[in-house]
Amino acid sequence: MGLSTLRNVGYRGLATCVPKTVVSNLDCPPQMRQERERLIRNVGIHTRRLCLPWQCFSDLAFIAAEKLLHELKWQREEIDALIVVTQSPDYLIPATAIILQDRLKLSQATIAFDVNLGCSGYPFALHLLGSMISAGTVRKGLVLVGDKCATQLDPLFSDAGTATALEGDADAPPIYFDLNSDGSGYKAIMLPIGGHREPPAAHHFLPVKDEHGINRTPYDLQLDGAAVLSFSTQRVPPAVMRLLDYAKTDSDAIDYFLFHQANRMINETIRKKLRLPEEKVPMTLHDFGNTSGASIPVTMTARIAEALRSGRKRLLLAGFGIGLSWGECVIDIENAVFPDLIEA
Amino acid sequence: MSDQVSNDTAAVSRFIDNFQSAVDFQEPVEITAETELASLAEWDSLAALGVIVMFDMEYGKSISGNDLKGCKTIADLFALLG
Repeated sequence: MGLSTLRNVGYRGLATCVPKTVVSNLDCPPQMRQERERLIRNVGIHTRRLCLPWQCFSDLAFIAAEKLLHELKWQREEIDALIVVTQSPDYLIPATAIILQDRLKLSQATIAFDVNLGCSGYPFALHLLGSMISAGTVRKGLVLVGDKCATQLDPLFSDAGTATALEGDADAPPIYFDLNSDGSGYKAIMLPIGGHREPPAAHHFLPVKDEHGINRTPYDLQLDGAAVLSFSTQRVPPAVMRLLDYAKTDSDAIDYFLFHQANRMINETIRKKLRLPEEKVPMTLHDFGNTSGASIPVTMTARIAEALRSGRKRLLLAGFGIGLSWGECVIDIENAVFPDLIEA
Repeated sequence: MSDQVSNDTAAVSRFIDNFQSAVDFQEPVEITAETELASLAEWDSLAALGVIVMFDMEYGKSISGNDLKGCKTIADLFALLG
């Protein structure tokens, strides 16, 4: 599909919830400290948010959704659709969105389902719910995006849950999208064990020590850093240029560019290739790490909420990663609610 | 001919400077074209990312992780510039 335009979709608000537990990448075994200091300089991630052992992504998203509904003064029975975009559902089945329909006390007439997307997820989430609204079948909807992907030792990932509200609005400015998928790169980021290709077996639980003496199992995320870096820095800049052209706008007319918070080297390369000034490209990597699909909304809430509350802003949002999958949108936001960051 | 040699020497020297900055060495390291990558303590996956970015941004050349795996020395890396 690639490029498309959605009309009659109003962006009404965003709430973001992160766990209150902060871990530093310097909280590591002493033999890893030097490497970690270098990693903080290059990858740009210092602190991360970590769910408590009993906290799920859906707990964060639930709190964000409750806050958003309260701020918007929306009635529960008005919500026609609840879409959850996550790779860390409560259970393998059933879908987390359906559990949340009941937990949020939404009507049983609500459409609720999950979508399995990670780092690229936010523009896809807006497109999916936006399409249902644009078609007129859904009037008000929520899309909850995020993941529980952090561990104490992995230095990249951080947890967050977000809730975004969209509503049918004949006067809303168009939203321009560019959405893409390349499954030939599926091995670049994957959890190979536990699905139907390789079901769980006893030997998967046997830990093997890595070069730092840290126990690893096949259940740890596998990430080919070089492949992800090449993919992100080669595909995203031309996709952004193509979308700007399609939307008949240019980078001067965009108030903020929000890129998925992947890794400082990746993000800086993308920014420099697009010749964007730092002040137009808010970042949360240093404090919140890579929050998967939540990283764009986390950055909106934590860095530009005040600006978004103060008047119409034109944003370019760009997600990219696991799949491989990448998508961007140009969206004008005005009169939407942006509650302060919630910690739970 | 000798101009060509000195141009190449200057290019290698500039390449080594770029390499040093891309890898972000903790301590200053003496590096020549013959230096073996495996002998450098910091030559790891993070350094590989820095070098891929360096090729892209300084030389406009896209290289992959596999290209890097085929390199033993700094000269091999330099040869990737083609």
